[in-house]
Amino acid sequence: MTLTSKTSPATSPAPAASLAPSRGANPVLKLVTRILDWPMAGLQRLIGERRMPYVFLLPNLVFFGLFVFVPIAINFVYSVTGGPALFPSERPYVGADQYSYLFDCGSYVDPNTCREDHFWRGVYNTLFFSFFQVVAMVGLSLLTAVVLNMKIRGRGFFRAVYFFPVLLSPVVVALIWKWILQRDGLLNAAIMGLGGERTLFLTEPGWAMFWAIFVSVWAHMGFYTLILLAGLQAIPSDIYEAAEMDATPRWRVFWRLTLPLLWPNLIVVIVLSLIRAVQTFDEVFVLTGGGPGTSTLMVVQYIYETAFSNQVQNFGLAAAASVVLGIVLFALTLAQLAFTQRKSS
Amino acid sequence: MAELKLTDIKKSYGATTIIHGIDLAIEDGEFVVFVGPSGCGKSTLLRIIAGLETVSGGDIRIDGQSVTNVPASDRGLAMVFQSYALYPHMSVYKNMAFALENMGLGRAEIDQRVRRAAQMLRLTDYLDRKPKALSGGQRQRVAIGRAIVRDPKIFLFDEPLSNLDAELRVATRKELAALHGEIGGTMIYVTHDQVEAMTLADRIVVLHAGRIEQIGTPLEVYNHPANLFVAGFIGSPRMNLLPARVTGPAQVTIGDGSQTVAVPSTGQASSGDAITLGARPEHIDVVDESQADLVIAIDLVEQLGGETYLYGSAPGLPQITVRKDGQAGYDRGQRIGLRLKRDALHLFDAGGNAIRVR
Repeated sequence: MTLTSKTSPATSPAPAASLAPSRGANPVLKLVTRILDWPMAGLQRLIGERRMPYVFLLPNLVFFGLFVFVPIAINFVYSVTGGPALFPSERPYVGADQYSYLFDCGSYVDPNTCREDHFWRGVYNTLFFSFFQVVAMVGLSLLTAVVLNMKIRGRGFFRAVYFFPVLLSPVVVALIWKWILQRDGLLNAAIMGLGGERTLFLTEPGWAMFWAIFVSVWAHMGFYTLILLAGLQAIPSDIYEAAEMDATPRWRVFWRLTLPLLWPNLIVVIVLSLIRAVQTFDEVFVLTGGGPGTSTLMVVQYIYETAFSNQVQNFGLAAAASVVLGIVLFALTLAQLAFTQRKSS
Repeated sequence: MAELKLTDIKKSYGATTIIHGIDLAIEDGEFVVFVGPSGCGKSTLLRIIAGLETVSGGDIRIDGQSVTNVPASDRGLAMVFQSYALYPHMSVYKNMAFALENMGLGRAEIDQRVRRAAQMLRLTDYLDRKPKALSGGQRQRVAIGRAIVRDPKIFLFDEPLSNLDAELRVATRKELAALHGEIGGTMIYVTHDQVEAMTLADRIVVLHAGRIEQIGTPLEVYNHPANLFVAGFIGSPRMNLLPARVTGPAQVTIGDGSQTVAVPSTGQASSGDAITLGARPEHIDVVDESQADLVIAIDLVEQLGGETYLYGSAPGLPQITVRKDGQAGYDRGQRIGLRLKRDALHLFDAGGNAIRVR
């Protein structure tokens, strides 16, 4: 049996597709398609050909909904309820109290004046971390991509080397660097071996934030380098030859040709790395635990600790902070879409 | 404007030699076309002249100065690329002004040069447009404009018309010829299209497998091909090349030896030597079989309206092409007698080199 179209033969550009496998196909496949053929053909007759694509999208949509949309909705419910109870049905409705609590500050620039000062320390740490991490990430990825795009010896090897950390789990990355940076780690051993003094890389606030940014850049730079390298390779080589014939100085080639032509890729890298930076948790959590004190505490760590690891588990407050973070990420995603769509139009 | 001298130019990639010692002198203001089949090294030679490829040996001189080791940016040449190679994010104006900005010219001077070139190339209305908003022909004109504004010593064109459709190619070809008349610069033009070569060139350089086969004016190359390669490459449809054997001081037999053709001279060739007899399709008359040098059976008739091509075969000979003016009425399978015009025959010795017969 074949799938039949509801459209008339005159308007139908091609014969309706058949689920029937071709001759010589796998017998199991034959059986499956034979079983599916009849109900699908019937369904198509019932709902019409135009609605059939939604039937095929449905399984994925169900999984996506179950594991993404439903948790978002549940999270929102938690954010407008209070108390220690786990089940939403047992939690009293408190309206926007959790949000009011989060935003209750004498001055937003001074976390000490806020009732939930840890949240605001997390916000400022995340802002600081994101700004410097993105600047360093974009700058170093661009530099690396430009170098790896040149005809250098061992180019394939270096491309693999720079991409390798991307393959590692964030926890593994953080543990490797923890072994290097801790009080009795490799770096201090090397410094002391050269006659220098031990430095508390992970327990001095300034150093801890520096290394949190450094490790994050080291771990993810390969991914962004790859995006930029693909962009560089998409620039036709004859444009550079034309520039050479036009006697263009190298710095001008970079500023006037390479950068503008790479701009769509750069936008993607900036926005993606910014979204990722704002979401940072695992690497910094394993590396510094948010310390010393709260000097490397990020928003996501605050949410995690508020909900799950503090002695008093405050699901509602954590959920409200999650909603705030979600809105920020949504805005960043919209910004990326706007940029890329403007570019493509 | 400048003159160019190439001496023993060689180019190898590893063990593979692409250019085998080319010597060539191009005069000031000359329009020279490099023509040859794909892979003959013509584009490589142009890129060597441009400075975009290094040489493996030899010397390049522009106006007597060696530029062999001078980078492309310092040679003062301009190149029009096959793909146009326009800067896609810049307007037409910016594309043309870019090189002038590199030269450090003042804004007024740049504006004057760009607008003059735009006027010459009918691009004035498109100066604010980006390349993607232009047609193929307009893009090609921008690429030419970008070269013109710089007032280069030599213009280099790398198959500039090959991305255009047939009609636009003819129109742009005429514009290029007019442009050369107008600005009169030294121009080197690479193409595999012999019509472009014949119509544009002051001199044609025919290249094959990294060697120059012949240098000459278009009609010299057409009328007196130096060897079998040039004879077969220049001319469309190609010259009929028939295996022949010398049977006397001015006599050869063709094909299986049953048909004798009297020729003006056989040059240095001796009786019994195997040679090749060349006759262009337009230099063969259809005659009565009793007066014919050979008789063919027609395989195919191509009616082009203004002319007719007959393709036929005879025992022991490759397919023969005959061009007839107008709309000649012949049928497939028909036998016709052919007579070769004696004053337009070409003879080539066993080594493929032309034998002077007139």
